[in-house]
Amino acid sequence: MAKTLGKSTLSALLVVGGHELRSRLRDGTAPLIALVAPILLATMFGLALGGDDDPPFKATIGVVDLDGGEFPASVQREALNTDELKGVLTFRQYPDEAAARGAVDGGESGAALVFPAGFSESVGAGRGGQVSVLESPESPLAGVVARSMVDRISALVEARTLAVRASLEAGVPADRVQLFVEENGAAGPALSLVGDPVSGGKVDLAVHYGAGMAVMFAFFVVGTTARSLLVERQNGTLDRMRAAPLPLWTALMGKSAVGFGLALVSMCATWLSSVLIFGASWGDPLGVFLLLLAHVFAATAIVMLVASRAKTDAQADGYTLGVAFVFAFLGGSIVPVYNLPEWLRSVSLITPNGWVSAGLSELAGTGAGPSAVLVPIAVVTGIGVVAGTLALLGFRKGRFA
Amino acid sequence: MTPALVCERLVKRYGDKTVVDRVGFHIDEGEAYGLLGPNGAGKTTTISMLVGLLRPDEGSVRVGGIDVDEDPVAAKRLIGYVPQEIALYPELTARENLRYFGRLHGLPRRELASRIGEVLDLVGLSGRGDDKVGTYSGGMKRRTNIAVALLHRPRLLILDEPTVGVDPQSRVAILDRVEALVGEGMSLLYTSHYMEEVERVCTRVGIIDQGRVVADGSKRELVAELGGTDRVELTLDGDVTAAAEKLRTVEGVSEAVVTGSSSIRLLVAGGRHLLPALLSAVGDTGAVTGVEVVEPDLEAAFLHLTGSTLRD
Repeated sequence: MAKTLGKSTLSALLVVGGHELRSRLRDGTAPLIALVAPILLATMFGLALGGDDDPPFKATIGVVDLDGGEFPASVQREALNTDELKGVLTFRQYPDEAAARGAVDGGESGAALVFPAGFSESVGAGRGGQVSVLESPESPLAGVVARSMVDRISALVEARTLAVRASLEAGVPADRVQLFVEENGAAGPALSLVGDPVSGGKVDLAVHYGAGMAVMFAFFVVGTTARSLLVERQNGTLDRMRAAPLPLWTALMGKSAVGFGLALVSMCATWLSSVLIFGASWGDPLGVFLLLLAHVFAATAIVMLVASRAKTDAQADGYTLGVAFVFAFLGGSIVPVYNLPEWLRSVSLITPNGWVSAGLSELAGTGAGPSAVLVPIAVVTGIGVVAGTLALLGFRKGRFA
Repeated sequence: MTPALVCERLVKRYGDKTVVDRVGFHIDEGEAYGLLGPNGAGKTTTISMLVGLLRPDEGSVRVGGIDVDEDPVAAKRLIGYVPQEIALYPELTARENLRYFGRLHGLPRRELASRIGEVLDLVGLSGRGDDKVGTYSGGMKRRTNIAVALLHRPRLLILDEPTVGVDPQSRVAILDRVEALVGEGMSLLYTSHYMEEVERVCTRVGIIDQGRVVADGSKRELVAELGGTDRVELTLDGDVTAAAEKLRTVEGVSEAVVTGSSSIRLLVAGGRHLLPALLSAVGDTGAVTGVEVVEPDLEAAFLHLTGSTLRD
């Protein structure tokens, strides 16, 4: 009996899914959202942002060294020697802040660091110091690099300040303290950008934005299924399906499966066209596929959660649109996460977009394998499980299942 | 023989509101049962629980001896459900609609093909089966709506207001088909706003009002509850609300309901003898233009039991 029921349920799932797919093909939404739009997106981003053999970006950072001491020179030397910035970063010297500001505004430099007079001495004496950054909205990545360098310098300055104060407290004479600290391991700034939040900058922008758009688009693709579910409920055909001798969730699952499938096709089409047409690399194929699979699962569950709370198809459309755009913004699909304020960067981690973006950056930027994205995959899948459970509860209450 | 349907003490609440309150009735094998009630009486909610679309808060439903809560899939195999809405895909042909729902009922392809032909024939649409449902008239859509429920040869056919919005000709055609099905031994649950449809098709009637079944029996049994009460239909030019107020004060008048802009329905003990008193009571509220005294019928029984007309 159970075997017969299982077979008939599977058969009914295929019938519902086949009907949904035919409807999407008939009204033209399936080819448009699953193939045309993603390929178009990949092409647009490929043409606009990618397609050459240059490193991901090159940045010129201006330096105003009013200090003239060892610290600013050491920072520049160390930065140019880091693996991540070698061949990418160029420093250009300016006599004062006004000149640097003019150069940044004019596009000659992407950003500038200003070391005030007496900076090295102040740090050496344990009084700390302040480095300012000049940025331009035209060169966000250069700004990110400059800020991350300042973050690093701040850490070193704090460490040096603490060391000096501790030495003074311990009775080291003031005229000997700088030498004492340097002799004991706090000698110049050992600048390293490993682990700093510039990973987005290491990824081909065409990949970053193409993937971001695909991630956002997955919500819209599943949204068409959510809409269809609401329309069927309004027309009474959903109840007619539920009155058939099948488990109540059959109609819901059959339709959701089509939304899931189309969204997966859509994302893979963006990925493949980006790779095949423009030769972009999204990283390890298995890792990318698993990440996309997890995202489509989460997007399907989230959109179904939205649909379970909607009363009309128009309301479902509105909710889906809102969720897709808010998640896209917070999760770095529209604006790179590293360009967001600090508190918003944390918020991005509640969205599947944020985790997928981080995962793809890892895969594309470092050439890592699937094991490097196990955490993002697990988190995104977890988001899907939670949203899916809430959706099922909502669907039961709303007479969908 | 196992009854086609038994429902006992069904209760459905939404928040504080009880929309179905301890509803119970049964339908014997081959019997046609009518469920009569005004809008919002709880008919559709009751039907939703009978067909397994809605879970009752209390009570039980057995279809052909199978508990709907315990084995909904087996119970639903025995039911042919015709919803109140036209639950069809307008962009598909009638044949495609039938094929889709037939496959959901698990009918094998070969059997399905022949059944589609049979049910289209049964509802008089065999010549239009390949036309899109969106191009059909209201009556044709209603007939297709019924055809879908007949595909799997159900033991119990549940029709929820199957003639709403159709022209008189299509209504007659639908009622003819339904009568024929009952004649062939199919059990039937029929809800309608149209008293004459229930009187024609059903052998037993349940009257549901404000979520409760207030009476259940054959037409003869329900009418007998009226005793010697007649139904009087009064038409007048004037203030019908004021006239109804005055008529309620006449001794022997148990109900006086405004049924239109110029009509009042009365339940009157010994209606013929009280006519002069009724006309006098109308007085200066309006000029009586017509009086009809009707022998006790289901309409009068409904008014007597619920205090309202069916279309209220």
